[in-house]
Amino acid sequence: MAGKSSAAAATYSPSLTGQRKKRPPIQTDSEWVRPDGRGLHQCRPAFLKTGAVNSASGSAYAEFGNTKVIVSVFGPRESKKAMMYSNAGRLNCNVSYTTFASPVRGQTPEAKDLSSMLHKALEGAIILKSFPKTTVDVFALVLESGGGDLPVITSCASLALADAGIMLYDMVASVSVSCIGKNLLIDPVSEEESYQDGSLMITCMPSRNEVTQMTVTGEWSTTKINEGMQLCLDACSKLGKIMRSCLKEAASGPQD
Amino acid sequence: MVGLSLGEQNFIKGGISQDLRTDGRKRLTYRPIFVETGIIPQASGSARVKLGVTDVIASVKAELGRPNPSYPDKGKVSIYVDCSPTAEPTFEGRGGEEFSTELSSALQKCLLGGKSGAGAGIDLSSLCIVGGKVCWDLYIDGLVVSSDGNVLDALGAAIKAALSNTAIPKVQVSANASSDEQPEVDVSDEEFLQFDTSGVGRHYIADATTAEESQMSSAVSLSINRQGQICGLMKRGGAVLDSSMILDMISVAKHVSEQLIKRLDSEIAAAEACDDDEMEL
Amino acid sequence: MEYVNPEGLRLDGRRPMEMRQIRAEIGVVSKADGSAVFEMGNTKVIAAVYGPREVQNRSQQSNDHALVRCEYSMANFSTGDRMRKPKGDRRSTEISLVIRQTMEACILTHLMPRSQIDIFVQVLQADGGTRSACINAATLALADAGIPMSDIVTSCSAGYLNGTPLLDLNYVEDSAGGPDVTVGILPKLDKVTLLQMDSKLQMETFENVMQLAIEGCKAVASYIREVLLENTKQLESRRGV
Repeated sequence: MAGKSSAAAATYSPSLTGQRKKRPPIQTDSEWVRPDGRGLHQCRPAFLKTGAVNSASGSAYAEFGNTKVIVSVFGPRESKKAMMYSNAGRLNCNVSYTTFASPVRGQTPEAKDLSSMLHKALEGAIILKSFPKTTVDVFALVLESGGGDLPVITSCASLALADAGIMLYDMVASVSVSCIGKNLLIDPVSEEESYQDGSLMITCMPSRNEVTQMTVTGEWSTTKINEGMQLCLDACSKLGKIMRSCLKEAASGPQD
Repeated sequence: MVGLSLGEQNFIKGGISQDLRTDGRKRLTYRPIFVETGIIPQASGSARVKLGVTDVIASVKAELGRPNPSYPDKGKVSIYVDCSPTAEPTFEGRGGEEFSTELSSALQKCLLGGKSGAGAGIDLSSLCIVGGKVCWDLYIDGLVVSSDGNVLDALGAAIKAALSNTAIPKVQVSANASSDEQPEVDVSDEEFLQFDTSGVGRHYIADATTAEESQMSSAVSLSINRQGQICGLMKRGGAVLDSSMILDMISVAKHVSEQLIKRLDSEIAAAEACDDDEMEL
Repeated sequence: MEYVNPEGLRLDGRRPMEMRQIRAEIGVVSKADGSAVFEMGNTKVIAAVYGPREVQNRSQQSNDHALVRCEYSMANFSTGDRMRKPKGDRRSTEISLVIRQTMEACILTHLMPRSQIDIFVQVLQADGGTRSACINAATLALADAGIPMSDIVTSCSAGYLNGTPLLDLNYVEDSAGGPDVTVGILPKLDKVTLLQMDSKLQMETFENVMQLAIEGCKAVASYIREVLLENTKQLESRRGV
């Protein structure tokens, strides 16, 4: 206590550049040790919860390690008058980052890009014909960005859609795989993402075994892509099961 | 854009399943490609590519700038695509913005690869002049003048041609002055190629026109480099795909891209030779 | 700075009354109803015309004449320094308005009620005189689209530097800060539809400069007519006439 009252006490300010050690150049044949001690093919533990936002038609909160996302779904609501009649429903997605989401304040990745990617990922899973003339709005807010943002956003969004009672063909689960040297890491954190040589993200509907979206960056040979896809699809099916159990809990919970 | 009648739609789908498209091509044939380089004298490098009716212009401008503090020994590349309303009346004002951002981000993914720069089409460290202080900023601008489907491929080819046409002055840093010469610098290290496969019904076609694009259920855009490795992949379109279909599309794309790379290279070389002849005259 | 040297040559070697080289091509954007490329020296412009077609905004529809809309945009790489925002800035909006008013004067809009004609002009390279090049390109594109007009509109600019009237200024001469007169005329009817000027001029000098610009316009008009004639001959031969 005495120490605190002295005005000349040095204030503690986390300096990012000091903490980040200069990684030695990655030798391609070395084994990558993951910062959080997971195995190469191990996903982060997932925490999923529905009903986070009371005023929305449906909402969900997801926490995958350090990545925390909250998604709220509004709808089906009346389409704006400017839009013409269509006998299939419309989906409108918006992804935004809070200012404190990234380690350096205010530096956000391309949120506009993510909105359109989220739209494409969810479009194939929603039964749009079930709500003609109306729009469903999906708003995603990233509270903390700890790597692998878009997969978490997509999975959380499909959970929120299910919570809102919108008809879906199947739950949408999404996982990304990172390639560092010769290692394939599943579900990378932001540190691993900054070193990655390539990334592969798959969004799929596990029980139907159908892919709604796939993005690949970096250099991949066909065998690697095969391997990566298999890993992702496996992980997606497991994630799908977790999402279903979460929904079941939420449905049976209030009845007790 | 006038919609297609039911009869026209059936005609397109039927034709594709019989390996005969509306303009007489086979399913995996590309339209004739026409490349012209050096059309914008004020830019460091430029090219114009015509893929049938689709017409795009790409220009590369190199400016001196400061490198990103997290990557002090790498230059910067920024890609921006603008859709001119001459291509589509709906691109007027802000109408074309969504499409432009989609194209820009797709091209950025393929050209710049992963965050650490591996697998990129451009070797960013070759753009560095003085580590941490001065580097080249490449501004790649694309302009879609006329669009009839498959704009992404045309843009990819145009950027590739523009980069091979780019001449960046050699900078020698002596105290505070910099002098320049004008050698022709080939910036692109690993050639890359944008490629688009669309799925109509159960068949795959390459290089779709606008009418075919309106009928396709989903599309996969691939970027493949010379070694046959995939540098970028994006699935566009809303419909769902079986995972085996994606692998199928990838192999089809690889097969067609080899031919396309050869064709493009010969076209670019021809265009450059034409250019050089003009300059010598 | 000397814009006209003592021998009477300008910075790019032209004489004061000499225009830059013109080149025009019709039908470059096959998707559009009419299109054209127009080059004046280093200034290169593409114009595309879509119409007449159904009005998109019902509130603006008019029952007795067609709606003419125009948009002017410059490419990022068109000027020496890369432009950040290609559309929507004040200069583009002003030029869009100017082109629209000029073309509206010559199109026989009463023949196409309840419809809309879109003129899109894209500048690929800017080296002074973009306004004039745009109007000339738009005229060709409208002719290619088969839209009825009372006469073609041609435009040219002229300036006054170092005591001499100069025809068809390029970017360097334009940015010298001297007066710049842009004139758009209907050549056959001998009427002026566009007259703009920057800076200031004495009355007599102004008349001289404007006369010079009108001469330039007439020269452009004869070239445009040649191009259109050539195009029609080609169309005829394709039809087998």
